[in-house]
Amino acid sequence: MQKKILEFTNILRKSGIRVSPAESIDAFAALDDLSVEDREIFQDALRATMVKRGEEVPTFDELFDLFWSGFYDNLRDSFAQATGELGEMGVDFETLVQQIVEMLNGMEGDFGDLSELARALLTSDLSQLENLIRQAAEGAGADRIENFLQVGFFSRRTLEGMGLEDAREELGGLADALEQAGMSPEQIAALRKLIEGLMEAARRSVRAFTERELQQQNHDYMEKFRRETLLEKSFYHLSEEEIRKMREVVERLAQRIKNILSIKKRRLKRGKLDLRQTLRRNMSRGGIPFELIFKRRKKDRPKLVILTDVSSSVANVSRFMLQFVYSLQEAFTKIRAFVFVSELGEVTPIFQEKDISEAIEDALEGGTVINVYTRSNFGHAFHHFWQNYLSAIDNKTTVLILGDARNNYNDPRAWCLREIHHKAKNVVWLNPENPSAWGFGDSVMDKYLPYTDVAEECRNLRQLSKLVDSLLL
Amino acid sequence: MFENVAHVLEELGKQDYICDKKIGTVVFLAQQLEKPVLVEGPAGVGKTELAKVVAAATGRRLIRLQCYEGLDEAKALYEWEYSKQLLYTQILKERFSQAMSGAKTLREAAERVAQEDSVFFSDHFIVPRPLLEAITSPDPVLLLIDEVDKADPEFEAFLLEVLSDFQVTVPELGTIEATQRPLVFLTSNNAREMSDALKRRCLHLFIDYPTEADERRILELKVPGAAEGLVSDVVGMMQRLRDLDLKKLPSISETLDWARALLALNARELDEDLVNQTFNVILKYEGDVRKAQGELDKLLQKQAIREGAPVPAPGAPQKPASASKKGALH
Repeated sequence: MQKKILEFTNILRKSGIRVSPAESIDAFAALDDLSVEDREIFQDALRATMVKRGEEVPTFDELFDLFWSGFYDNLRDSFAQATGELGEMGVDFETLVQQIVEMLNGMEGDFGDLSELARALLTSDLSQLENLIRQAAEGAGADRIENFLQVGFFSRRTLEGMGLEDAREELGGLADALEQAGMSPEQIAALRKLIEGLMEAARRSVRAFTERELQQQNHDYMEKFRRETLLEKSFYHLSEEEIRKMREVVERLAQRIKNILSIKKRRLKRGKLDLRQTLRRNMSRGGIPFELIFKRRKKDRPKLVILTDVSSSVANVSRFMLQFVYSLQEAFTKIRAFVFVSELGEVTPIFQEKDISEAIEDALEGGTVINVYTRSNFGHAFHHFWQNYLSAIDNKTTVLILGDARNNYNDPRAWCLREIHHKAKNVVWLNPENPSAWGFGDSVMDKYLPYTDVAEECRNLRQLSKLVDSLLL
Repeated sequence: MFENVAHVLEELGKQDYICDKKIGTVVFLAQQLEKPVLVEGPAGVGKTELAKVVAAATGRRLIRLQCYEGLDEAKALYEWEYSKQLLYTQILKERFSQAMSGAKTLREAAERVAQEDSVFFSDHFIVPRPLLEAITSPDPVLLLIDEVDKADPEFEAFLLEVLSDFQVTVPELGTIEATQRPLVFLTSNNAREMSDALKRRCLHLFIDYPTEADERRILELKVPGAAEGLVSDVVGMMQRLRDLDLKKLPSISETLDWARALLALNARELDEDLVNQTFNVILKYEGDVRKAQGELDKLLQKQAIREGAPVPAPGAPQKPASASKKGALH
């Protein structure tokens, strides 16, 4: 049992659940106090001691089912089928085995002479069988299995390791011996049939075991793989399904940034001595300053003005940028969000009132705010901003512009951006296009470049999160 | 003392707390292993309540420490009572001068004062806060550290000593060990991730929204006057509401509030008007109310289907939501 729990711990660790040695000791201690009979309690005890994160619970439950039950049930089903076929022939499994044992005792041979495997098979001793399969699988290195194509290979090696063929010959020999000893032909036929059935069941069980092993090994791998690729995948090539999944990833990244921010904020907490507060607090002690009060130093949270191109060519990038900014709203003192294609409109109120998905859909559609069915005109949009919203910018404001700067050969009006740049703390431009394409064709990125402090390619989520990171920290 | 998991469930049941085996197992283990329990889960699923009923069931005194940002040792552990110390010095001035009178030099006087030092830093002038109280209490207690995620990370680090060894260190007095190991429950709403060090020392329990059957049992127990039709209507509605993509999902405490409100309105079953009027009891955001009102037809219609025909497959309510999302993408 101990060994099995340790093995399970290893599988948990491989799947990214961190189980410390102290925690597995807890698990053992917990099981000492509980009966292992009740599966549910057993599972709960392991969960309480080993899994400490809410989001890891589903993974744990899944792996638990895979590890602890799947196989034994499978084994039982396979062997129940084998012995069940016997019943169809009108022979009872129990009495048959009983008879065999009796006859063996009568002969010079002994039941104990059979190999472990043969004995376990014949008596359908499932837990013994499970042990034997486990040992053989370990010997065959089945825990190194990586993909589906290897299932056959590892199953075969496991079977060889178990010595299933030997057991078959052994049992065949036994049947011969029993026949000579005068067992009735019907019973011998039943026995031979049983042996075949058992062989088949054993083979099937081993295969099931290997497949399960594959699932366990792959569980984390698939998950991680999915996440990693989503991070790296270009926004241009996302399917709708992936966009939906991406939301989780964005949220996770945003949460991480928030955590870091809260730690940073606290470190900065203590400032100078606050004389007024100190005197006031110590009034009850006759003004003797027992307790000192310090001013809290404030770190300027950045103000952010974000201008997002929502034309169809960059809609996906805009979506994630907006999602990111929405999730991080509290990290900024003030966010003002604008969307544009040719016209420009403010979506800040939507951000504040609506919930995330609604706000972003609204902002992207722009339906109520701007007309999105025109051709991009950055110059016009910047000019509009310069005319109406320049007061939104002061020397603490970071202006974040998101767009591909494909201006459809309109006048770029770069001077507007120059004015904005002049007033703002800094101007950051995120462009989903590769820098080598900037300034070619109808791209006017080169005209705008002089008036940005940072201009970067932002093609996938990893780049995006890195940028937001550097913006805030 | 609980004897086994079944016993835990029975005792908690006597306190009108309905829970599943998962919770029972963890409570039982907390007692056997003498380890703190970190309870996580959405707001209003009965995390704090669990600690209270365990205290009641075991006959332990409940000591509660509510965490908040800026909570420090002085508020959680102990504090010297400066004013009292000051007052005593004033009153005992005479005695001091007497004691001091024989002293020839300043040094000697200072030494004499130093000898009396311990008078002022003794149990007498210490104000025990919840943690110290729980450690020093002569009879068994249950310490509830509520919303530990609201406290600062430094405070969390400070908790480690208490949680792993059940002892605290007061520099002037030395280390104080618990006479009776308290049962400790920590609750967290997951406002921030707790440190691994803390998690490692605790058993972990995640309480989720109750299943339909459990919620019904809780409702029947806590709101005894409600008609059966109303109970099943309310529970069904709540379960479906939790499938919606809301900002704040209604919890079991909202279910109880709602049922009580409906009972006060003499409702025997739900209808559209009634739901519309009382939505603000269960949904706490304007946007959520609007969204739920949009889906109200479905929420109620399904109820009608449910009464006559088999229950629709779970997950069905999400379909229309995703379909509308799809539409918005184009």
